[in-house]
Amino acid sequence: MSTRAQKWLVSGPPLVYLLVFFAIPTLIMLLASFQYPGEYGGLAPLFGTGDPDELSGLTFESYQRFFGDAIYLGLFFKSFLYATATTLFCLLLAYPLALLITRSPKKYRDLLVLLVILPFWSNFLIRIYAWMIILGPQSLFAKGFNGFVGLFGIGPLPLLFSPIAVLIGLVYVHLPFMVLPLYANLEKHDPALLDAAQDLGASSWRRFWRITFPLSLPGVYAGSALVFIPALGIFAIPDILGGTDGILVGNLIKQQFLDSRDWPFGSVLSMILTLLAILFVGLAAWFARRK
Amino acid sequence: MKKLLAVVALLFALPAWAQKADVLHLYNWNDYMSDETIKRFEAFCKCKVKQTYYSDNDELIAKLQAGAKGYDVLVPTMNAVEALIKMKALMPLDKAQLPNLKNVMPEYLNTAFDPGNTYSAPYAMSITLIGYNDRKVKELGVPVDSWATIFDPKILEKIKGKVTVMDSQRELMAAALKYLGYSVNDTDDAHLQEAKAVLLKAKPYWAAFNASSYIKELTVGNIWVAHGFSNDMFQANLDAKEAKRPFGILPALPKEGAVLALDAMVIHKSAPRPDLAHKFINFMLDGKNSADLTNMIGSGNPNADAMQYITPEIKALKAVFPDAETAKKLEMLKDLNSKQRRAMSKIWTEVKVK
Repeated sequence: MSTRAQKWLVSGPPLVYLLVFFAIPTLIMLLASFQYPGEYGGLAPLFGTGDPDELSGLTFESYQRFFGDAIYLGLFFKSFLYATATTLFCLLLAYPLALLITRSPKKYRDLLVLLVILPFWSNFLIRIYAWMIILGPQSLFAKGFNGFVGLFGIGPLPLLFSPIAVLIGLVYVHLPFMVLPLYANLEKHDPALLDAAQDLGASSWRRFWRITFPLSLPGVYAGSALVFIPALGIFAIPDILGGTDGILVGNLIKQQFLDSRDWPFGSVLSMILTLLAILFVGLAAWFARRK
Repeated sequence: MKKLLAVVALLFALPAWAQKADVLHLYNWNDYMSDETIKRFEAFCKCKVKQTYYSDNDELIAKLQAGAKGYDVLVPTMNAVEALIKMKALMPLDKAQLPNLKNVMPEYLNTAFDPGNTYSAPYAMSITLIGYNDRKVKELGVPVDSWATIFDPKILEKIKGKVTVMDSQRELMAAALKYLGYSVNDTDDAHLQEAKAVLLKAKPYWAAFNASSYIKELTVGNIWVAHGFSNDMFQANLDAKEAKRPFGILPALPKEGAVLALDAMVIHKSAPRPDLAHKFINFMLDGKNSADLTNMIGSGNPNADAMQYITPEIKALKAVFPDAETAKKLEMLKDLNSKQRRAMSKIWTEVKVK
């Protein structure tokens, strides 16, 4: 078999997968974003029956609506901030953890990685509902927290139904997606490099900053993309833990498809979200490759 | 080893056996059916009932419109029944299999939503109203006889952060429209803008928009006032009693009037088991079974034959059985067309984001 054929054989299945489950749906959505909404939901037909009252064909209406009101771009910006904050907090929490796992004795490593994945064994929604109880005003945690801030004359602060609750939920759910790529990267580092640096008199901080961190950057980019993109579009967490101003762009999209039955506008929002996500992946890949 | 093999064989056999059993797929509102009633129906039909849930009519319609299949019986509100009929999503009822349809009070039959009840059989009713923690409300002196309780900042000041409102654009707008003295089906843009202003002014005082966990939040005492369905408040009160909380959750019907939802059983056009669906509908139209629904989940009842079985305490509840004067102020929601839905959605997004 020629190498060319081998290449196709290996890259074929993922290519087909992406074509069927990403490219084609995205094209359908692109078309939908230019259609009119159907009377009971769904889409108005592309080719009408000629009835003058019936909406059919293509239109820029939904795009005009999106760009005609700053409220939608504002919501994208807000979601962007939440996703960025989530990524940063995940990185700050995951990096030391991944490093700790890598530096721990080999026989414990698999167990520690298993512990990171363990939460996935229970349903995501159940874990979020658990946070509802933990953050609720009757909980020990909330009472302890408010007792503590009360010492400084603040509060009591409501924890549940607040932006903080949403951020806690986002960081909690996405943390493993940051830990795993970081661990996969850090584990491969050659310890001889650190030994050599130490022999040459580098302090432990300098060894980390000049050797470990630059080498781990591909892991940082991969983890950031894995956290940032889902966090940008998530709707369940703001729905359950968020307050009255907790909605993110994911909620708005869900609202278009489920509550308002406005598929074209939902498609416009999804298209823009997809474009932003691709842009982010592109940037991450570019940064990672440049190194 | 033999034992292990037998267990493995059994494990593989189980799903096959389960698939052969008769199963009725019921797509219902959450908290709109008592477990006992389900058990009794399962014993009666020698089948299994598999229930899945939705929390908003729009959610149900959206799912069916997107091609969801496999449901036998749905329990949409009448306005959604009308939309589903126009979408050609329903199967006509075979009245010969539904002798108990005669038990339904005539005022709930032959409505404009489904003339002649070709597709729908009334199931139960609920009123969207205010549920409150009796102890807290009394302590703080919060009046609960009007929509002002959830809309007037002067009143809300006392219960800030302890109020949830429904996460449903139709229901919340309807409450605001009623508060302003308009019809719940008003689509006049000026009136909708007025309603939006009411919502925006009150929003800072609410804890959250909440469609399905307000029962729990009320029961636990995290929330003191909630905008929601009458039967949910009934459930919250039962739960609070069972947990021996020092308070009860009571329903209050605002004097301005409210949304009345008549929910009806319909059969999806691609129902796998229309035979079981008809059996179920006829079973639920039986006076005793229908009364159980009211006795156990506190829903309003359109069934004349059920009245004799309903406990006097529930009959006395004005929020479940409103008197004639109050009943006049109740309105059913009508379905909106795509243009009206867009206008409503725009307002709703502004309410949620601002």
